[in-house]
Amino acid sequence: MTKLIQMEWKKLNQKTVWMELLIYMLILIFFPAFFIKVAMPAFGQSYAAAIELNGFIQMGYVLFGGSLINHVFIEEYKNKTISLSFGYPISRQKLFTAKVLFIALFVFFATIITFILSGLTTYLLDQFFPIINGKPTTSDMLEFFSSMMIGSVLITLISFIPLFYFGIWKRAVVPAIICSIFIMQLPNFSLFFNVKPDVVVIILSILGAISIFLSIKTAESVGEI
Amino acid sequence: MNHVVKTSGLTKQVKGKNLVTDINLHIRKGEIYGFLGQNGAGKTTIMKMLTGITKPTSGEIELFGQMLSERSKSVLKRVGSIIEYPILFEHLTALENLKLHCEYLGYYDEKGMKHALDMVHLRGIEDKKVKEFSLGMKQRLGLARAIVVKPELIILDEPTNGLDPIGIKDIRDLIFMLNKEYGITFLLSSHILGEIEQVANRIGVIKNGRLLNEVALEEIRKQHTDYIELLTTNAEKTVYLLEKELHISNMKIIQGNRIRIYDLSHTQNDISKLLIQNDIGLEEIQKHSSSLEDYFYKQINGGGMND
Repeated sequence: MTKLIQMEWKKLNQKTVWMELLIYMLILIFFPAFFIKVAMPAFGQSYAAAIELNGFIQMGYVLFGGSLINHVFIEEYKNKTISLSFGYPISRQKLFTAKVLFIALFVFFATIITFILSGLTTYLLDQFFPIINGKPTTSDMLEFFSSMMIGSVLITLISFIPLFYFGIWKRAVVPAIICSIFIMQLPNFSLFFNVKPDVVVIILSILGAISIFLSIKTAESVGEI
Repeated sequence: MNHVVKTSGLTKQVKGKNLVTDINLHIRKGEIYGFLGQNGAGKTTIMKMLTGITKPTSGEIELFGQMLSERSKSVLKRVGSIIEYPILFEHLTALENLKLHCEYLGYYDEKGMKHALDMVHLRGIEDKKVKEFSLGMKQRLGLARAIVVKPELIILDEPTNGLDPIGIKDIRDLIFMLNKEYGITFLLSSHILGEIEQVANRIGVIKNGRLLNEVALEEIRKQHTDYIELLTTNAEKTVYLLEKELHISNMKIIQGNRIRIYDLSHTQNDISKLLIQNDIGLEEIQKHSSSLEDYFYKQINGGGMND
């Protein structure tokens, strides 16, 4: 399986993916400090509030996940390179599992790294241009790392929501990306529906897991060329 | 009979429409089998099923005596193919495309890859990105990929598409060489009947998704006698002279002064000379060779099934 995951990476236009990742990272690293300074200074009242904000901002990786679904699944169908994979002595379920794991690992580690870098950047900027009240406490640090781990897992799961329907069934790039943008924004609007953002995130994660399950389970039927 | 490919009742249905129906294909070890059929007859669909790209709706595929199914695809290691057109990763180089293919098949031999590129005359551009390739170069690279892991069966759908006449000859020679020296079995399709005629040992004619007939080219040649057709000013006298002077008896007057000679022991020149010497006007003389084309059109226009 490790070999298959590596090959998914080799097949990609790596320069494009690295460039995309760089852009996401740059935006998401500086966005928390920018947001506190320009849009919502309320999140600067404490490090706890800033950490909560950072967690929501990293939802941006849901969109990156959508973009990877496009590169790894939809483009392969559109360019017909998927038929090459189907001609190898590997079952379609195994091929799709490798693709899913590749996207999952990429999104997960990119989110983790960006979490750390955005935390450090926000802290350093706060040292030079104070935007957050007080200093980070040990409990803030623990909260940051637990939010980083849990957040990265949930964001990874959520990013798979468009996979089954738009990625494999419809093979449609634009709807898949629009779906990712909508999902990414959904927790921010949860209060309009009187639902806690955390509940929305958990529901979305379950939907992502269902999408992964259906994608692999139906690889032989829905995944047919 | 040692069959490399054997299918029984192979059927593919898409959206309620049968693309191919009840295909019983038999390809023997070491032969070059040509698929003949009009566009949309179902040649590519059959090839896609044989290479695991698409699954049959019903029926069975046996490759090298092993059933091909989604759960048992290991036999595909022994098959190389180009279906429809060479599908390549355009942003990768020629060598990277070959490496990726080899890795999927658990084969790694850089020398072998370079040798495959040599065979298709693509040496020296292995580090060039495929997006910079012409269609002919892509076709050659597709072929290099099909042969790089030394498969025992190579399935090529329109392998000479996009190639210039020299390229076509190169590919034909390569197919002959691989078939003769390495004993590789080939399944080819081409819309150019002459191409198949020059390469194949046996053909399968497909019409509207059904395999009408499987026959050896040698058999077609035997069944369809060549003849010389001539139009003279005096048919009776011509027949008399041909029988008396050249001892030709296998001939018939087909219409007016038009005669067909099936005994080809004498050349057109001998016949012309004889008629001129005897003051018989010769308006037309032509040798007809019945070709695969004749056979194909006969099959397509009402040829029977061979079940």
